[in-house]
Amino acid sequence: MWWYLLKRLGLSVVIVLLAVAALFLMLHSIPGDPASIALGPRATPKIIAEYTAKMHLDQPLAYQFVIFVGNVLQGDLGSDVFSNRPVAETMAEQLPFTLTLAIAALFWSAMVGIPLGCFSAIRPNSWLDRITGIISVGTIAVPSFLVSIWAILVFSIALRWLPVIGAGDEGDILDQIVHLILPAFAVGLGWVGYLARMVRASMLEVMGENYIRSARAFGLRSRTIVYRYALKVAILPTITLIGVGFGGLLSGTVFAEIIFSRPGVGKIIYDMALARNFPVVQGAVLVTIALYVVVTLIADLVVSWLDPRVRDSL
Amino acid sequence: MTALLDIRGLNVDFRTPRGRVHALRDVSFKVPRGKIVGVVGESGSGKSTVIWTVTRLLAGNGVVEGGEVLFDGEDVLKYSEPRLMGFRGEQVSIVFQDPMTSQSPVLSYGQQMTDILYRRDMSMSEKRRRAVEMMRRVGIPDPESRIVQYPHQFSGGMRQRAGIAMALLMDPMLLIADEPTTALDVTMEAQIIHLIRELQSEFEATIMLVSHNLGLIAELCDEVVVMYAGEVVENGDVRDIFYRAAHPYTQALLECDPARESARSRILPVIPGDIPDLHLRPAGCVFAPRCPSAMAACGERQPASHAVGDGHAARCHLLDPALAGAAAQPAPAAHGSRPAPAAAEALAAKPEAWSGPLLEVTDLRVRFRVMGALNAMVKGVRDPFVDAVLGVSLTLDAGETLGLVGESGSGKTTLGRAVLGLVEAQSGKAVFEGTDLLALRPGSFKPLRRDMAMMFQDPVGSLSPRQTVKALITEPFEIHGMAGRNLDDEAARLCEMVRLPQNFLSRYPHELSGGQARRVGVARALALNPKLVIADEPTAGLDVSVQGEILNLMAELQRTRGLGYLIISHNLPVVRHISDKLAIMYLGRLVERGDCEAIFRRPAHPYTEALVRGIPQPDPEKRRTLLSIEGEVPSLGNRPAGCEFHTRCKYATARCKTERPGETVLADGRIVTCHHPLGT
Amino acid sequence: MTPGPVPERAYSVGREKLYMFLRNPMGMFGLALVVMFFASAIFAPFFATHDPFAMDIPNRLGGPSAQHWAGTDQLGRDTYTRVLYGGRVALEVAAIGVSVSLVVGLVLGMLAGYGPAWLDNLLLLVFDAIRSFPTIILGLASVALLGPSLKLVLAIVIITSIPSYGRLARTSTLALKRTEFILAAQSMGASTTRTLARHIMPNVIGPLLILAAMDVPVVVTIEAGLSFLGLGVQPPTASWGTILGEGRLIIRETPWMVVAGGIPLVLTTLGFTFLGEALRDVFDPKLRKGH
Repeated sequence: MWWYLLKRLGLSVVIVLLAVAALFLMLHSIPGDPASIALGPRATPKIIAEYTAKMHLDQPLAYQFVIFVGNVLQGDLGSDVFSNRPVAETMAEQLPFTLTLAIAALFWSAMVGIPLGCFSAIRPNSWLDRITGIISVGTIAVPSFLVSIWAILVFSIALRWLPVIGAGDEGDILDQIVHLILPAFAVGLGWVGYLARMVRASMLEVMGENYIRSARAFGLRSRTIVYRYALKVAILPTITLIGVGFGGLLSGTVFAEIIFSRPGVGKIIYDMALARNFPVVQGAVLVTIALYVVVTLIADLVVSWLDPRVRDSL
Repeated sequence: MTALLDIRGLNVDFRTPRGRVHALRDVSFKVPRGKIVGVVGESGSGKSTVIWTVTRLLAGNGVVEGGEVLFDGEDVLKYSEPRLMGFRGEQVSIVFQDPMTSQSPVLSYGQQMTDILYRRDMSMSEKRRRAVEMMRRVGIPDPESRIVQYPHQFSGGMRQRAGIAMALLMDPMLLIADEPTTALDVTMEAQIIHLIRELQSEFEATIMLVSHNLGLIAELCDEVVVMYAGEVVENGDVRDIFYRAAHPYTQALLECDPARESARSRILPVIPGDIPDLHLRPAGCVFAPRCPSAMAACGERQPASHAVGDGHAARCHLLDPALAGAAAQPAPAAHGSRPAPAAAEALAAKPEAWSGPLLEVTDLRVRFRVMGALNAMVKGVRDPFVDAVLGVSLTLDAGETLGLVGESGSGKTTLGRAVLGLVEAQSGKAVFEGTDLLALRPGSFKPLRRDMAMMFQDPVGSLSPRQTVKALITEPFEIHGMAGRNLDDEAARLCEMVRLPQNFLSRYPHELSGGQARRVGVARALALNPKLVIADEPTAGLDVSVQGEILNLMAELQRTRGLGYLIISHNLPVVRHISDKLAIMYLGRLVERGDCEAIFRRPAHPYTEALVRGIPQPDPEKRRTLLSIEGEVPSLGNRPAGCEFHTRCKYATARCKTERPGETVLADGRIVTCHHPLGT
Repeated sequence: MTPGPVPERAYSVGREKLYMFLRNPMGMFGLALVVMFFASAIFAPFFATHDPFAMDIPNRLGGPSAQHWAGTDQLGRDTYTRVLYGGRVALEVAAIGVSVSLVVGLVLGMLAGYGPAWLDNLLLLVFDAIRSFPTIILGLASVALLGPSLKLVLAIVIITSIPSYGRLARTSTLALKRTEFILAAQSMGASTTRTLARHIMPNVIGPLLILAAMDVPVVVTIEAGLSFLGLGVQPPTASWGTILGEGRLIIRETPWMVVAGGIPLVLTTLGFTFLGEALRDVFDPKLRKGH
């Protein structure tokens, strides 16, 4: 078990490193002076010279990479080209907004999607199953940014029920929650269908297994069979899927943050990418990748904790 | 007293995309209290459908079209859903065929067993105590600590014991056993049979035992119901069925069973033809198309059930006094050996003559890595390998058949694959006509592959699913650059050789029955006229009546072509019929090898003895009373010291526990790895 | 339990599957939408009512009318026509993106599954590293460096799609590698190339094609999303994303652009998803098992 955890952690670090290296190579494989590219057209020669020295851009690539990784490990993600503010500080400030949005979206979609999938698998081809099928495909079919726009159109502009801009006043929980509703709805909607379909498919598969038939042959209550014998197995691939799909969820939060002008990592990346403030983009991308890797790690651990077969094979 | 279970005129259909399959037609039989009733039949006979109908667990597309299932006088088919819940588990319980897939993988045995006891008004600790007690009763050692374990942590035999414990937990009135030993090895099968018999006398249980295994039925049952293609063709006392079978199908089935014949014969009896298509209702007797004694009436009218003796009845026109006169002289059961096509004989002549042994394996060793190098280092495992095959030596001459026998995990399949270079051997030699195959590079091995072929276990699964039969059987020509030959002619020739109709050439594997797919496998293996054929479980997945056809075909081709066969199997009766020599494998080593008949008559190694005695005989008079082998096969990673069999050997001495036995050559030339060979 | 063999070729599995597909109303609906998508994109000039770039400032921000079926944008261009032409961009990205990533993913996946363990581990690591970039964030980062263009969108689509095809091909190949028919081919002396091409690929490609059908909406959405953010197709070229992006800025003046730009996106996504689901239900026996 510990060995597995260690291996899995090591692998996660390697993946993050690979991703960082890819980012790094991208920056340096472009013809031209990396400093001018990173800083964009507005940078003055002085800033460029300072940046070159600070980022060791005059040194060999491998050396720069080691320095960068070393800095990252010490919690130093570099600093903002214009304000000179440490990127790590900006991230610490923005990450909670993104996390809140992602978790809220995931939570509501799981609360709706998993039971929907479960019920429709218990009675396949019933009216509930058919409606669920249409709802799931329907929700998957509308991209989250389109949901955001249309939600604004309906709930903010036409009905004037909910606010459009920002994350709410600091300290005012209720206001923050009101500001969270539309973005979380937009980000989570596709996931309702996604989860419902996934749970339905794996429940159907499990309900056809021999051990479900034996549980019925032993006269167990159907409630026990569905929740204790079937769902416990069927939920496992769904958990893995949530981990893997978290990247997609983050893409959704980027759109939501931009469209709803909400603070967050995605908004920072977008604004800074347009401003060509590359150190901030680099740091923010690093943070999202790390976030993704941590979430998949947690998903894997939860699966291995729930499934004795996996637990023993570790 | 009425019978506990009384099935009357049961008809069950399955809706399929191709129309209705009439899976059960007018099935009637009784299960009296306190008796074991065996339901025997080949695949497609409807014996499983009976189980699922009785328990009302038919698949969604199954429809009961008529009949009654009276349990203790009440019709189960009329039970309401709540009544059914009380019926299942409480009054009737099932022991399943494959314990691995029929027990929840994510719940411990303790959880699964206390779940079953939910209806009992007991405290949790009482339920647990009862579960532990039942596990002890079925022979699971140390049940207190094993009850918290999960199915995957149990061995196959122990899992089936746990399955029996679960079924008995609620003291059911009727116990249904669905092929309870099919997933198990011979020695485990013997133990489970023993256990069921013990439990039956202790609980005075009523048992319905469903199986295709005639030996198992003869060993355990009081009464037998024979099913064929969805109908009960004969039923009666076990002795009536096995000694005085009245229905031609029962007679043929008994004759086909390789375990039955005590004398060895090269040609096995077969039942020609296939099970009828159950989409159509047969006009007359279902067995008529395959029946050697069929008369005109058989194809026209369905036979009624005729009493033959006390409680013994069969559905056959031959027993109808009104038709008795018209009965043709029953032909002796068909021996499906037609003369081989002349074409095959002409091709058999091979110019070169090799005088030495065809295949000579010396000291072969195959190791498998069980964990990664880094992982092993972290865990401090010094040797992250297990030996699947260890120090194996054997020889095979041209025209000879060597049977390699062992239980699952004995390394027999690995040995066969290592010879052909499909798995890498650690050390040793495999010399084929003077060339050591293991020392060859892939490039120089390839031309030699024309002279050797392998047949794999799964008849359908060993055929590439998206290729036609023609592409499959002509692939060897393409691989070996002989595409210049007329492949149409070759395909036609091969089809004729294995007696497969020419129109099968355009079919795909999933459109073939097991027997037909196996024929395609034989045709492919023999396409290039090899000298050596390694056949891994050539009869696996085939019904008894089809087994014979394949074995006869293989024997015939061997006769005409002088092939050397290495037959790998766990099925001793089958191996006995076709082998000249035998090699017995245990934990990757050969424990005994030599002449096949000699080994069967007087096994010298205690393990061989256990295997030979472990075969259930299809003869109710030959029931065994004593268990010949206890315990389970140790894991490869944990080989016992000394003689590796000593942990299960009833003759083991102190010496066996410490000293590994060498090879002893017996008077008849047999080689035994044992300190105390039997009968010497 | 299979009752006996088929006496003659009374029915064929292929035909049965075709009937199953034809009887699936959602699948047929999906097919209709997909055909509509292809037709409208390919024959856009034929269906168009205006020049997609012709400006008509006096008539800007108009609602639907007899002349402008879906209204006009901030420059008075006909939204209906621009949506039709936007479909061409979507089709181009989908066709190139899906086919390239399908082929590359298939080859890499088969190599990973069939080849030595180190290659498998290496490819898996690369796939995982790519997957850890949320698509839009990868897009944002590379646009920050390279500037927006359609080629970049295509590159992002291909790079981020390869791992899903690769993983699926790898899993199927790994499972096939241990089957007896592959061992049989090896025992006959078949070369690796032959084994891969004749025995593995035909059995791997099916699920990948179904995945491709389900992947089209994803690809179209990525293109629309990036263009929406101004990181993809550049004005004045019309894409569903740019129409939505421009529409969003004037959403308080006219709602028609975000509606007109969104509907074809939703219909296309719906069509391919329904089609893919129907294909999977018909061809993946695993999901058919449930009673």
